[in-house]
Amino acid sequence: MSPAPARRRRLAALVPAAALVLGLTACGSSGAGSAAPAVTDPAAALDTPTTLTFWTWAPNIDKTVALFEQKYPKIKVNVVNAGQSATEYTKMQTAIKAGSGGPDVAQVEYFALPEFALSKRLVDLKQYGAAGLESKFTPSAWSQVALNGGVWAVPQDTGPMAMFYNQKLFDQLGLKPPTTWAEFEDVAVKIKASDPNRFITSIDPGDAGGLDSFIWQAGGRPFQQKDAGNVAVDLQDPGSKKVADLWSSLLQRKLVDAAPGWTNEWWQSMDSGRYAMWLIGAWAPGNIASTIPNTAKDWRVAPMPQWSTGDKVSAENGGSAVAVPTSSKHQAAAAAFAIWLNSDPEAVRSLNDNGLFPATTGLLTDPAFLDKPLDALGGQKANRILADSSATVGTGWQYLPYQVYANSVFKDTVGQSVNGGDLNAGLGAWQKRIADYGNQQGFKVTTP
Amino acid sequence: MSSSTTTTITKRRPRRGRASNALTLAMALMLGYALLPLVWLFMASTKDTASLMDSFGLWFGHGFHLFGNIADVLSYDHGIYLRWFGNTLLYAVVGAGGAAFIATAAGYGLAKYRFRGRTALAATVLGAIAIPGTALAVPTYLLFSKAGIVDTPWAVLLPSLVSPFGVYLMRVYAAEAVPDSMLEAARIDGAGELRTFFTVSLRLLAPGFVTVLLFALVATWNNYFLPLIVLSDPKWFPLTVGLNQWNALATGAAGSGATTTDFYPLVVTGSLLAIVPLVVAFLFLQRYWQSGLSAGSVKE
Repeated sequence: MSPAPARRRRLAALVPAAALVLGLTACGSSGAGSAAPAVTDPAAALDTPTTLTFWTWAPNIDKTVALFEQKYPKIKVNVVNAGQSATEYTKMQTAIKAGSGGPDVAQVEYFALPEFALSKRLVDLKQYGAAGLESKFTPSAWSQVALNGGVWAVPQDTGPMAMFYNQKLFDQLGLKPPTTWAEFEDVAVKIKASDPNRFITSIDPGDAGGLDSFIWQAGGRPFQQKDAGNVAVDLQDPGSKKVADLWSSLLQRKLVDAAPGWTNEWWQSMDSGRYAMWLIGAWAPGNIASTIPNTAKDWRVAPMPQWSTGDKVSAENGGSAVAVPTSSKHQAAAAAFAIWLNSDPEAVRSLNDNGLFPATTGLLTDPAFLDKPLDALGGQKANRILADSSATVGTGWQYLPYQVYANSVFKDTVGQSVNGGDLNAGLGAWQKRIADYGNQQGFKVTTP
Repeated sequence: MSSSTTTTITKRRPRRGRASNALTLAMALMLGYALLPLVWLFMASTKDTASLMDSFGLWFGHGFHLFGNIADVLSYDHGIYLRWFGNTLLYAVVGAGGAAFIATAAGYGLAKYRFRGRTALAATVLGAIAIPGTALAVPTYLLFSKAGIVDTPWAVLLPSLVSPFGVYLMRVYAAEAVPDSMLEAARIDGAGELRTFFTVSLRLLAPGFVTVLLFALVATWNNYFLPLIVLSDPKWFPLTVGLNQWNALATGAAGSGATTTDFYPLVVTGSLLAIVPLVVAFLFLQRYWQSGLSAGSVKE
């Protein structure tokens, strides 16, 4: 029998401590393992010999997992890269459907979480004491894992938006980093005037997440889930429209390049000064440092351009949480592992050392973190700006309960309008596809 | 990868007329078109990340990093690349070899024996060619998951043993290549059907067998979608899926976490190494292939 809720919560909040005590005093579970009934208490689960399979594509995360294994030697964690993003989700869906071959713990991006949570494919971590973690995480990270009264995952990393710009190029052209979108437009014109083959930045016709983040920052909330069955979609709300108008105009005047991101050519443009900036999540410095090592030191970070002078509003871009699928046979141990990996101070520091931007307030307010000069950005204390961005993320953003599908048709709809067309028309086409699919899937989708 | 066949003229005939400049030029263009990607791949494999980003694609960058890159490829993640290479070899050799053998035996049986349902069976095989393997991948996954062989090498090997196109090809080929009178002679001499097949027919069928083997080899070597679906553990990945995973890591970790490893040189150099065995297989097996191409074109 499980203990009373209050006691269970207290126990779980003390998971690391309790397990440590258990380990030291060598009491607790019999360690019988396979034949024993499923352990439901996380503290005991950590002291029962178990092998967990952890699906993740975060490079170098095995270093943090090794710390966990040192601390809880009875648990062995197999780190498996089963594919990135949509590839992993497809596999997880089929494995959960088949009832075997799935992971015990899985990395899931925030945009995909509602889909897994609402279709009851993830374990509600509240029963393992996750509710007590709320104060440890930034409000924006927490709001993305706590949905419909459950806690479906533990936030791992976040991507508060920032403006990465090539300072050397700005100095050359005598430009200052823009603080508002109006200034951004002026700078875009000046950069183009300096050389017709230069752009302030590029926009990726296949990246739904990027445009979502711009809309989020502009105050748009196009996706709203009223309850389990009802979804409202409005990709022409004031925020979405502001963003579409601005970028359509920039694209039509060829001030912004329409090109898929992350390709070899794209990085060459970043390296050669063909692109002057990159508006992206706070996890970018590591990518800049490793992909364009020769020019990384020329880059700096500044806060996002604002829609009104004096505002401080940001948004999230990317980031993942760690969840436990319902098909796991070791749910208590899996939950305890997910919680330790993403909330223990030592683990969180290790994650950050390996390139993940923190989701915990503890690290985001830690002076050692804030004052760390980033070699990638010429020694700039960039974390201060990035942490500020994290603290000013707009609230109330929601994703669709089938965002993975929606993102997969972004390229055929909005992506088609990126090449010199009107993004508003593209957003309209995207909205239609989203509504049609949702209705087919049994949701009631309302559009204005 | 595409295969190119060149026809060699075995007997020198006296040249009549001048060589056509237009044709030579067209062929040279085709050759360039086929070789350019390979040149790019080789050049790119000699570069480090910085050179990949700022040097001309069809020439060397700063420094020659080919051997360093190869060392990186072989050592990354405890040598997982070699494991993928071994997996691919296993899938290709066992899968393609098995597919070629089964197709040869089946095609021979359909061509040389009269039995009830033979026409229906042949029609079924012909129909099976029309169904793309991709369409069968998901049902295959669900079937294998019931059988409990998902995430094992069997999940890749079993489907690759089936080659309806190979059966069809061998049936046509066997009908021509193995004379009925020879089979009758073998029977009169007292050889059983199996022995006849293994000692007499198989030798006559060798060119067809090699053709099917090559087709199957290329198909299994480049097989991507099926292993992508049925395997989730990287230790059973073939090269195609493994390299694509590296490529995904190189082109941004899906907005989550920074890539602190230089994946670009790994992907490019890994791709270069991956095509070497196929090139070798083609160079060595080509002569068998060509000798069989004229079969059935003249009456014996």
